[in-house]
Amino acid sequence: MKNLFISAALVVSALSVSSCKKDDKDTTPTETTGTVELNMAHRWGMGADNFLLNMELVHPMTQDTMTFTTFKYYVSNIKFKKADGSWYVHPESYFLVDLATAGSEILSIPNVPTGEYTDMEYTMGVDSLRNVSGAQSGALAVANNMFWSWNSGYIMVKAEGTSPNSGSGSFAFHLGGFMGSNNVVTVKTVNFAGNSLTVTGGHTSEVHMTVNPAKLWHSSASLATTSSLMMPGATAKTMATDFYGGIAFDHIHE
Amino acid sequence: MVVSLLITSTNNNHSPLFDRGDFFQNMRTILFIVAISAFLFSCKKAEIENYKEWGFEKPSHFPEPHYKFENNTQTYDRFDLGRELFYDPILSLDSTISCAKCHAQTHGFADHNVNFSLGVNNTVGKRNSPALSNLAWYPNFMWDGGINHIETFSFAPITNPLEMHETMTNVVAKLNASAHYKEKFKKAYGSETVTDQKLLKALAQFMAMMISAESKYDNYVLGKTTFTSAEENGLQLFKTHCASCHTEPLTSSFGFANNGLDSDFTNDLGRGLVTQDPNDNGKFRIPSLRNVALTYPYMHDGRFFTLNQVLDHYSNGIVQSSTLATSLGTGFNFTTQEKQDLITFLNTLTDQNYLANPFLSEKKK
Repeated sequence: MKNLFISAALVVSALSVSSCKKDDKDTTPTETTGTVELNMAHRWGMGADNFLLNMELVHPMTQDTMTFTTFKYYVSNIKFKKADGSWYVHPESYFLVDLATAGSEILSIPNVPTGEYTDMEYTMGVDSLRNVSGAQSGALAVANNMFWSWNSGYIMVKAEGTSPNSGSGSFAFHLGGFMGSNNVVTVKTVNFAGNSLTVTGGHTSEVHMTVNPAKLWHSSASLATTSSLMMPGATAKTMATDFYGGIAFDHIHE
Repeated sequence: MVVSLLITSTNNNHSPLFDRGDFFQNMRTILFIVAISAFLFSCKKAEIENYKEWGFEKPSHFPEPHYKFENNTQTYDRFDLGRELFYDPILSLDSTISCAKCHAQTHGFADHNVNFSLGVNNTVGKRNSPALSNLAWYPNFMWDGGINHIETFSFAPITNPLEMHETMTNVVAKLNASAHYKEKFKKAYGSETVTDQKLLKALAQFMAMMISAESKYDNYVLGKTTFTSAEENGLQLFKTHCASCHTEPLTSSFGFANNGLDSDFTNDLGRGLVTQDPNDNGKFRIPSLRNVALTYPYMHDGRFFTLNQVLDHYSNGIVQSSTLATSLGTGFNFTTQEKQDLITFLNTLTDQNYLANPFLSEKKK
């Protein structure tokens, strides 16, 4: 019995020693991956004015006065290309940027292998497969209110607010569509050119992007004409395409 | 417990035990008790075992199902969770409306007697609550086919202001506040944290198991029974006039058609609402006719309460319009006898085993 106690004690201490060892190992600076953060900076119009919820803005083209109460959109499937042409593909890469949720404008991609990256690819919206694959989790959970209940598919951009120019006093644009000519999902690429993205072990590198919500109405009518859109179609396609087209790479912080 | 009571009573009736004459008597009693307990035990065990064997099994005369439990591996606990949720009004805003309220098993999981179902605060729905069966074979859901997956289906009635009028966030919060449900979610999905994904997947497990394949019609198709001459005649009429849309054996092609109810669709564009194609205006899901004798009222707006009215419509009530199903022409001009035979045949689609399937009914608490 006494021997049993001793051996049990030995096992316990051995376990605690080995777990200590493991902790030591974790802190050694030999990590082979780093983190990349995509930082989505929202700027209104070509003048790059501040863009915040509950802030009165004037659209540079339609001249509509607008106060946003909701601004949400999906970014997905982020990939980085190394100088040797190989890609790092971020698994389960779905992000919901929600201006009402602080920090959601920073898309954190951990476990990126260290090295020099020349290009980045990302998708605006949610790929068609996830629109038809049943109940999802995380950013894609239906509880985020970014999924149409009556006509399955993700609302890929949601912009809501108030405006004196709208007949109803408010506006609500739910843009989506993943099929045929209504497909708004847009794959975008960034070439870092001479300024490649360096991922260092245990460090975070930042890729800064600019997003201009005013682009939604770049070639679309004033809120006086259309203040609400709740389904896929040509108008949604135009608005999403204009908005996505205005998203641009700005600079890298390492 | 029943067994021990039996032992007590036999002991009272048969003492002393070791008398030779009583030995055989007691032997018989013991055998009887063993047999009874074996029977009781097997009954109890059979519920689970039979289920496991049953699991999802494609009826031999059915085509391959559309839903194959991808990323939602079937387990009894998940099914059981889905079953409890289906019958629990906790899914609605004020805990008054469960799925089962508008989908009654006794009526093929349709809402009987009302053309439009009532939601929270007695709000009136816009379309008739359809019968539910063989959902694993549906490529999409609702009268307009707007929902593309059995797992995302329940999101619609839960959040529709005319139905359960609840938010997913609220439902998840209510379930997370319930020790009972946390335990059930843990058993089903390994973690007691309730999420909308697990909720939807559990409901899908239950819904996909709603299999109606044991009607007289099925037994006829499988060669297990014969039809009366009226049933046989009705089947032939059905094959000639109905089966091109109500495809056998599921009795639906799961397509959409304008069956000549109206010529003005502004009230409800139907499939056109989803596809935004004017050629789809006025088209609605071709419903399955399984258990049709009990799923009244009929049509997307529940305008017909009897099968006679339905057959009168197909006989000489077809309203012409640009999207009308060409196969309907100007109607089939059924004779009274033909209508009778068709109804006799339609009655063979009633599946008593489905309507009384204990696995699909509300669990006694």
